[in-house]
Amino acid sequence: MIREKYVQILKETTVSIVNSKIESIRLKDDSKTSLRLYKEGVIGVVGAIGKYKESELEAQAREALNMNIEYPCQPSCNQSEAVDKRTDFLMPEALLKEAEEFIYELAEAQPDYIFSGKIMLQETGAKISNDVSLDLEYHDRTLVLEILYKERSSANIIDGVFEYSGRKYDRKLVLEEANHLLHAYKNKVDLPQSGIYPVVFAEYRTPVKKLYTDLNGQLFASGASLFSDQLNKQVFSKDFTLYQSLNPEDVYNIPFFDAEGITNADYRIPLIDEGVIKYPYTDKRTAYKYNIKATGSSAAAYDSVPTLDLLNFKIKESEKTLKELLGGEMGIMVLIASGGDFTPNGDYGSPVQLAMLFDGERFIGRLPEIQISSNVYEMYGSGFRGICSDAVLPISNTKFAVMDMKVSTT
Amino acid sequence: MFQFPNNLYTDIRIEDVFETKIHFALGSLEESKIRKYRAAFIRVFDGNRWYYASVSDEDNIQNEIDRLALMAEANSSINENPIVRKFEVNTGKYLSFADKNVSDISKDEKTNLLKSLFPVITASETIKMWHAEYLDSRKVTEFYSSKGAKLVFDTQKAGFAVTLTFSEGDKKLAEKFQRGSSFYDKLLNQENYLKEYIDKCEHFLRHSKPVEPGKYTVILSPIAAGVFAHESFGHKSEADFMVGDETMKKEWAIGNRVGSDILCIMDTGKEFGSGFVPFDDEGTQATATYLIKNGILAGRLHSASTAASLEEGITGNARAMNYTYEPIVRMTTTYILPGDKTKEELFAEVKDGLFVETISHGSGMSTFTIAPTLAYKIKDGKIAEPVNISVIMGSVFETLSLIDGLSDQLELITSVRGGCGKGEQFPLPVGFGGPYVRVKSINVQ
Repeated sequence: MIREKYVQILKETTVSIVNSKIESIRLKDDSKTSLRLYKEGVIGVVGAIGKYKESELEAQAREALNMNIEYPCQPSCNQSEAVDKRTDFLMPEALLKEAEEFIYELAEAQPDYIFSGKIMLQETGAKISNDVSLDLEYHDRTLVLEILYKERSSANIIDGVFEYSGRKYDRKLVLEEANHLLHAYKNKVDLPQSGIYPVVFAEYRTPVKKLYTDLNGQLFASGASLFSDQLNKQVFSKDFTLYQSLNPEDVYNIPFFDAEGITNADYRIPLIDEGVIKYPYTDKRTAYKYNIKATGSSAAAYDSVPTLDLLNFKIKESEKTLKELLGGEMGIMVLIASGGDFTPNGDYGSPVQLAMLFDGERFIGRLPEIQISSNVYEMYGSGFRGICSDAVLPISNTKFAVMDMKVSTT
Repeated sequence: MFQFPNNLYTDIRIEDVFETKIHFALGSLEESKIRKYRAAFIRVFDGNRWYYASVSDEDNIQNEIDRLALMAEANSSINENPIVRKFEVNTGKYLSFADKNVSDISKDEKTNLLKSLFPVITASETIKMWHAEYLDSRKVTEFYSSKGAKLVFDTQKAGFAVTLTFSEGDKKLAEKFQRGSSFYDKLLNQENYLKEYIDKCEHFLRHSKPVEPGKYTVILSPIAAGVFAHESFGHKSEADFMVGDETMKKEWAIGNRVGSDILCIMDTGKEFGSGFVPFDDEGTQATATYLIKNGILAGRLHSASTAASLEEGITGNARAMNYTYEPIVRMTTTYILPGDKTKEELFAEVKDGLFVETISHGSGMSTFTIAPTLAYKIKDGKIAEPVNISVIMGSVFETLSLIDGLSDQLELITSVRGGCGKGEQFPLPVGFGGPYVRVKSINVQ
């Protein structure tokens, strides 16, 4: 029998803003412990929130083995690594004062707007260790700003969201970035005409949704994925490489190992390499069942068996700047595109509630609500221009994705 | 029981939670667990700011109260604060599920409920991947406040979801069959309904074709109508968006026309199901609130804070996702009220349109969206061939005014997985529903 412990820690200080003023401060100090026992091809898992008695937890885990949940895989072993990304760029005790001064300066600079939202300092920790010499540990600390803005004269409940997250903080640069966006928001511009435009995504989780649903290892290997019969085939552009990535440079507050303790070289693995589908993403049980590679994509609640889950995708950056990717054309920067989706055959359509005309360096002005549409094979095939190499915003390290899509007014 | 600090308002919410999760993938047991915990959320208010903390160790509640009190500024007139004056002082035990408690049903029985569905699923050759999941939850909440509230109440839901991925040649379809209720016994004997549903999905898989984008008369099923009501209007009825905003107060003045004459939308925490909350998370008793009555804006949803700010009555809509979050204004069970046509009459009046039967998700800002899964053409008043639609969308207010027909039967849905998201708090269980709702024109992609 092998005994494994997985501990997750969250310390969080959150300041809430309502009507451009501080409304509350919330303190969290949460630890959750998972104890797993592996014995003769089955797994028993129990968990505890906060304090617990080791002997009681172990007795419950032994009992959980009787449920006969199959786990015909070897626990991860013989690896020891610790990554600590915490720096003292802002301490919890200083957050309330900093938030007061930040929101005061923002409201002073932008009197036409009402602000609400949260400023959050998160410190996370994760540690997995077992009897077979696995010992992986990760710590991180980030600041997260989610500031909803609304023009005082607007009848919308919100007009947009300014977001920043990172391991550094400079009030002057954050305000510069927010002011740039808020100034541009006031400048209404028209879409010249419906047609094909380079569309720029700051956050590309929505447009890659079809990839993360259909590269799911269970779906892929069972033949139910759109891509099931396209393994090792050139399906997308040669400029398109998609990683499953837990590299701390690509993601915040998520450990470099998955819930089963798997790590990858450089903490990344290419699921699509230069347009060729190489691997679906998998946990150990899925990989075992279908005899495919375990990519280290499992997640687990504190009292759960690790199961297949999407952790983080990253598209490989090109060598071109955003301005070069736009090639002299005006881009359409998507800031809010809520509610769109793919059909089973990969057609994509979405309203864009907030978009800016963008020249590669600056927001020019706010476009009316538009619709974007394409198909997954075009978005990452002939229409894919790339991910920019440069960070064009004052503090955010966002690397924008650019793809040609059909754009029309609503 | 607790020493409440002087000259401050304090409340404590203790949650005693029981949850079951059983999960099979392709018939193999992936997860089978019972989760039990007690934990608390503490709020201290000094009339200017709120101070919050969550604790998983009940013995530590008093320490946390004292710690938060040190951060606050004593206010000798705290009881005269408009927010504090709004808080109800309810006492007593309100347990609706003590004798129909899901924790009294064995895990084996719940497992066998799922297993009874397996032969129906495995009989289909087109289902290539499937998951079957049973979930239940009972929460007993204790609520204590420095104003004197001393309250115990419970909520409960149980349900199962079967996620099905169909594939035949190049054709793919992902769908879900689910049943949810406040009561376990409502989940039994669903095999025949599942079989009918699988047959319908297979027909859709084989015969669906891409829709021609454009504007159509659309009939929404009760589940689609419920999501539409929730996303398009429900969120706009949450009063926290209006605090301190003079433009919104004018735009959202009670009495303004916001929809067609036949449209009524209600939110209530009194209906059993996933939106059942007899008291909210600041101790206010549930109410039934008309949001729209005959096309006229009739009410909105409040916490004590928003009610005080807007000088309106509290509605019992301050809800928190779990013990680590503060209550904010949220919906409970939101639905469109039925009309006067039979379902058949509603369809018969459509010569050329679309019927949206099931959906995967919806969203709503000034524009609402719904992503349909099973959708059909309507030809000469009859449901015709299946169509693939990415998304239907429209201006919320334009669409509310274009509703021109409602069927006469209400159907409320208890969601099994997922729920409503607002800011960081997702998923919160909510109920939704409606009759069949006809909209004269919706943009379809």
